[in-house]
Amino acid sequence: MNEYQIEKNLTVQSKRRSLLFVVFAAVLLVSVALNIITGTIDISFSELLRIIHAHDTITTNGFIVWKIRIPRTIAAVLGGAYLAVSGLLLQVFFRNPIVGPFILGISSGATLMVSVVMLTTLSLGLTALAPFMTTISALAGAYAAMTIVLFIAAKVKNTITLLIAGLMMGYMCHAVTSVLVAFAKQEKLKMFVLWQLGSFSGFKWSEIQTLFIFGGMILILVYALSKPLNAFLLGEAYASTMGVNIRVFRFFIIFCSCALAGIVTAAAGPVAFIGLAVPHMARLCFVTSDNRILIPGAILLGAIVTGLCDFVARLAFSPVELPISSITAFFGAPIVISLLIRRKVPV
Amino acid sequence: MSCPGTDTIIRTKGLSVGYNKKTVLSLVDLAFEKGKFISLLGPNGSGKTTLLRTMARLLPPCDGSVLINQISLNEFRQDHLARILSVVLTDHVSPGLFSVFEFVALGRYPHTGFLGRLTKTDEKAVTASLSHVNAQDLIFRQIETLSDGEKQKILIARALAQEPRLILLDEPTIHLDLKHRMEVMSILQKLCREKEITVVASMHDVDIAAKISDHVVLIKDGGVIAWGSPEETLNKKSVAALYDFEGASFNPDLGSIEIKANGHRGSVFVVGGIGCGTVFYRLLAKRGFAVSTGVLHTNDLDYYVAMSLGAECITQSPMKKVTQNETNKARLSVRQADYIIDAGFPLGELNRMNTELIKYAIDHGKQVFTLRKTEDARQLIKTEPDNLFVCRNATLLLKKLEIWLKEKNQKLQGRRIEK
Repeated sequence: MNEYQIEKNLTVQSKRRSLLFVVFAAVLLVSVALNIITGTIDISFSELLRIIHAHDTITTNGFIVWKIRIPRTIAAVLGGAYLAVSGLLLQVFFRNPIVGPFILGISSGATLMVSVVMLTTLSLGLTALAPFMTTISALAGAYAAMTIVLFIAAKVKNTITLLIAGLMMGYMCHAVTSVLVAFAKQEKLKMFVLWQLGSFSGFKWSEIQTLFIFGGMILILVYALSKPLNAFLLGEAYASTMGVNIRVFRFFIIFCSCALAGIVTAAAGPVAFIGLAVPHMARLCFVTSDNRILIPGAILLGAIVTGLCDFVARLAFSPVELPISSITAFFGAPIVISLLIRRKVPV
Repeated sequence: MSCPGTDTIIRTKGLSVGYNKKTVLSLVDLAFEKGKFISLLGPNGSGKTTLLRTMARLLPPCDGSVLINQISLNEFRQDHLARILSVVLTDHVSPGLFSVFEFVALGRYPHTGFLGRLTKTDEKAVTASLSHVNAQDLIFRQIETLSDGEKQKILIARALAQEPRLILLDEPTIHLDLKHRMEVMSILQKLCREKEITVVASMHDVDIAAKISDHVVLIKDGGVIAWGSPEETLNKKSVAALYDFEGASFNPDLGSIEIKANGHRGSVFVVGGIGCGTVFYRLLAKRGFAVSTGVLHTNDLDYYVAMSLGAECITQSPMKKVTQNETNKARLSVRQADYIIDAGFPLGELNRMNTELIKYAIDHGKQVFTLRKTEDARQLIKTEPDNLFVCRNATLLLKKLEIWLKEKNQKLQGRRIEK
């Protein structure tokens, strides 16, 4: 193949990818719009435009749009993007296609710590930290679970064993949570159960701001790590001889993936399967494992998928709202099973 | 043994290597020059891989140090080291959905910027690496669709894309078919010659290593037992000691390993010479016959092969006529042998006496198999005895021998039953 042909081939490839990004961005916009337009209360399109344009938060419809629908949509979109990237990082880290924050028990660890804070009086003295308590405890739980999983992963190299270990972690955390629930006071319980079902509803603008700024910074950091992430796909030994400082790099991956999974879990409760399934969808769409493409790809796809799942959760049995995890599990679990059967889509 | 000079690229000083403080190899003192091909030889588990991994800084040394360009390995920054040294390991590599181009481009890691964007120079380096391993046409294939041999070439191309001065390879030819094995070895040899890259590879094929390497390092029993040029280092004794050979032996003149005959099926005397006997020695040894042969000149190919197979040889010095003296010795062997094979050697002034042996065998009622044409045999022996079989080629001859043996055994058994 001569130089001209190689050049041409590379241009075709990058054009195709750019086009795909444009398409996904458009789909994301459409799904965002869909989430804002639809709901249990009918708001006409012209009314909606007026509300948005005038920044009307006083009328009932204005309140619904600005205080309920828009925050919820943004939260779902951001949460989906973060979970997808968190899953992508874990898949690269473990060089294993069937891992994600939920599967490895990281979400469960976060849930456990949140339950400790929400259901017991252990954190009573820390009033100064009260507003951030959920986030801090979720992060602490996520890191604790990750530490245990890393310890297990160092002992076993097998994909399936790691998977089962993660599931067992999840069960144990769940068991402790159940015990706490059994002893909890009634009024505390209601809030926790609602949180635990997982939902992007009830976000305040201040929370969204935190989610956006903190998560956004981590996403930038993750994108900056995409070069060593690619090297890491060849395994630690190769990455090391290519010039990656393994110890620093491992720390960053774990820090970023747990932080992303932790902040989403703290705010929206455990959301299953987004972190596992979306990176695969990105790989299949962009036909590459290059993380420079996959990271933005997973952000867009995670946002789209979670946005649409939340749309279904709200409207499928309206006015009854389904927990988001029930919808994400519906399409996520079959993907895991098909991956186990085929074992063909690699990291 | 070469002294560490200015051309030395990598050197080990009192190096001990191992995992988790458990030393596998100790007191390794080696120095390799630029543009040389070095093979590490030794049985499985001797520590070749551990040594390579320590040289690549994938494992910390237990003791001693590794110097690259006279600088201790510890002092290198990871990315600086990556521009001098690259590796091809046995670790299973499945990076996922990458084209060969993208995969080899990963090797540009130490040369690219923050996000690893490829410049024109990088792209050129990638295509050049691919052409060095004869894999230009694979450039847009997906990694997962490659065969083992193609994948190995791509892994070497990736290592080359780092533009290193030194490549360490762990078992580069393992799992490869013969074609790719030879191709990979010649690619590596070419890298040494043309790009002056030092190649250090752990190997299993002593015969290939002997022919390709500038230096060999023999590793066994927790240490380096010998190192130097293969011509000096590899001999029958050192190779046998290295691998604890019993039923086989390495022949440095032929550069190959022969499986010794154990002779449980009777003995065969081959009247050979001028390379005609070789095929028979190997065939007979393979099928379990004890082989004796003669009269061979000691510069004959037949002599080298027969010796490494452990055959009994009656010999004469090069360029000297075979005389009655040697023939008498040979006659003794002929009498002791169960069957005689005439390898059909061309007749000349020096070996005419060997034909006497064939006649002698026939006269003594031995079963003789010959590769000569019927008329040549008739001319040689002058009679047409029952105990002479004329065969067209070596395989047919062996087949005939097997049939004849079977019939003989059946007859023997028949006689026993009658009794």
